[in-house]
This record gives sequence, structure tokens and C-alpha cells, in this order.
Amino acid sequence: MRFATQMKLAATVFMAVQLTLATQTTTAARAEMLSTGAAIDRYAAYADREFLLGELQKKEIRDEIIAQGVDPAEAEARLRALSDREIASIISQMEEDSAGAGAAGAVVGALLTVFIVLLVTDLLCLTSVFKFTRCATR
Amino acid sequence: MRHALTGVFRAALLICIPVVLLGCAQAVDRRLEVPADQVTRAAVPGVPLIKQADFHCGPASLAMVMQWSGLDVTQSEIAAQSFSPGAEGTYLADMLGSARRRGQLAVPVTGFQNLLDEIAAGHPVIVFQNLGLNFALKWHYAVAVGYDLEARRIILHSGELDRMVMPLRLFERTWRRGDYWALVVLPPGELPAAAGEWDVLRAAEALERAGQLRAAQEAYAAGAARWPDHWLWQFGLGNTRYGRGDLQGARRAFLWARRLAPDVPEIRQNLAQVNRELGV
Repeated sequence: MRFATQMKLAATVFMAVQLTLATQTTTAARAEMLSTGAAIDRYAAYADREFLLGELQKKEIRDEIIAQGVDPAEAEARLRALSDREIASIISQMEEDSAGAGAAGAVVGALLTVFIVLLVTDLLCLTSVFKFTRCATR
Repeated sequence: MRHALTGVFRAALLICIPVVLLGCAQAVDRRLEVPADQVTRAAVPGVPLIKQADFHCGPASLAMVMQWSGLDVTQSEIAAQSFSPGAEGTYLADMLGSARRRGQLAVPVTGFQNLLDEIAAGHPVIVFQNLGLNFALKWHYAVAVGYDLEARRIILHSGELDRMVMPLRLFERTWRRGDYWALVVLPPGELPAAAGEWDVLRAAEALERAGQLRAAQEAYAAGAARWPDHWLWQFGLGNTRYGRGDLQGARRAFLWARRLAPDVPEIRQNLAQVNRELGV
């Protein structure tokens, strides 16, 4: 997964801070080593979600979402409601679909804008592009 | 529903976009586009040619790449860990698995650009092709060892045909039918040039899970050097050192990880455990 690693890292750290508040008190008592694999799974999922939410804040994406008659706040709420599994599927479908289009695994620029907008319109039942999004209002 | 009535034009836009986006109507050459500053030609030296046994293009390809990286391993030894006689072939997952069981960092890559970048970086790349058609499958693994964008061709080491020079357009078609699947297999201290951080991280972790702790440790250390700001590399380093009985080394890695990400509970827990065992 190549795109926007830095954004994801920033998001990872951000989420880590939030997580700690919830789990800090319980971890000290347990005596076992936590595996690298579990940590990767956990933080990669947060990084993906934070990446998508971060994209929603961009002006060109916001403008396009509003142009589609969608409230950005509602779009954000729908995105937050997706499961880690669904987020992972969406990210991998974005990468797969763009791989053949010359972008080669990295979803960037105009293509990414289109993906994000379609994801949002999918979530609001206006389109049906992504395999794993469900139409949330019906 | 108000949203559904935002206009015929927008609806038309939304219908058109996925068609372009999903590549259904794409001309072949678009897929082969590369940036203007792409290295025009590149070749990976020192990749041996290995004639494959029947249906052993997978093991033969792996043997070529592993021998290139200095490993003393034969096609039939690899086949014992990866080939499926019933299928008369080698599954993609077994290609990854057998490389990892030999302590090699195996990272799937996809896309034409990444393929060229790996070759330009001096890494041979195993590519999965369908040399036939969708209704007449002929799956094949080969090793891409060079390309020339001016002459529009790619150089493959194929266990079937020895050195094969293929026009890029033809290669793109055969590779597309293989879903653009490619695999970089490297000694664990060396990282792929084009793969993203999370893919490399997962490949390193797969080594750890396969019990190849020394190799995993090397891969984590290389990742930490390339991506010094991300705590997960230090976390993996700490866990592999711990697994190998190096408690002091594990402690150093977890302390470093904690400096990078002070509030991650996983780091705190593992550091606390190591401290307990050390009596610190």
C-alpha cells in the first residue's frame, strides 16, 4: 500500500493517543507479549480510516461532495460507521481498480478525488460502485 | 429523497466516471504509460537461467531469484515446499510461503510502474502471466530481469524458453490476464524499491510468524532505517529480539518505539514485560 504513507502515520499516532486513554489502565496488569501482527492489523485499519476522513477535509473533495447535494458532515458520519473490514475492502478496491489505469497501486490526484466522492455517494445510496459499501439509509 | 433529484447531468457524470475509472474502455497503451523521468533501460545482472522441470515454472522462478540473492537452493528443494502436483502448478500463496520459509523477504507488487522501478533498482521480479487466453489458460511464472522503453520490450528469464525478449504490449496483455501479480523476493536486509511501507511491514511480520526470527529482525531493522519515524518497526524489532532471547536488545527497541509513540499501549505492555523479566 503505497499512497499517502505520511498521512497515515500522522493518523496512526493520533489514534494511538486516543486509544491510550481507554486502555492505559488495563494493560499494566497483564503479563504477556503482544504480537507484531496484531499491532499491524490494528493500526493499519485506523490509518486507513483516518486517511479517508482526512481526504474528506480537502477543499476539492468537499466542493464536489456538496455539488452532489451531500452534506459533508453526514458523509463523515457514514464513513466513521463503517467496520474495519469494510474500510480495508474499500482501500484495496481503490488500489485494484486504479492499478490497471496506469496509476500502479498508488491512488493519487484526480482519480483519488473521484474515488472518495463515489465512496460518499455510495454510502448515501446515490451510486453503487464499491463492492463492500452498503446503502445505509434503506 | 432529495439527494436523488440533483439533476440529470450529475447522474450522467456519475454513470460515466466508473467506466473510465475501472478501465473497461481503456486503450492498452495507457496502461504502459510511465513518467518522463523513468529510466529508459535497465537490467539486473547475475540472475541465473534455470531450465524448469515439467510444470515447475514457479519453483524455477523462485530458484533463479533466490540463487541471484546468494542462497544455495535448488528448484526441486523449492518445489517440495511450494509445488502442488494435483494442480500441476504452484499457487501464488505457496510462492510467498516458500520464499518466507527460506528466510527471504517476499513482497507482492503490482502495476507496470512498480515493476519497472524494481528492475531499475536492481531487483529481479517474478511475474505471473497467462500466456494463453481467458478461455484457454496457460499460467506461467517468469522472472523479469530487464526492460528497454525505447525498444518497447521486456526481458524475462523463463524456465520454459530461457531468455525471452517480449514486446511490452504483448507482455502487458499476458500480465493483465494474470491480474498484474508480481513478487519481489529479496534477502531480508534489502527492501523493495516500489512497495509501500505497510506491505513491507506485513512481509517482515510474515517472516516473524513463519519462525524466521533472524530474517524478520533484519527486515525490521532495514525498515526502521528507511522509515525512522514509525514505531511499528521498532516494535517488531523488539518482539523478534525478545523471541531470540535478546532481552536487552528488545528493551532498547521498545524504549525507542516509546520515544516515537509515547502513548501506544502495545509498546508499554511489551516494555513492561521485558523490564519485569530483566528485573529492571
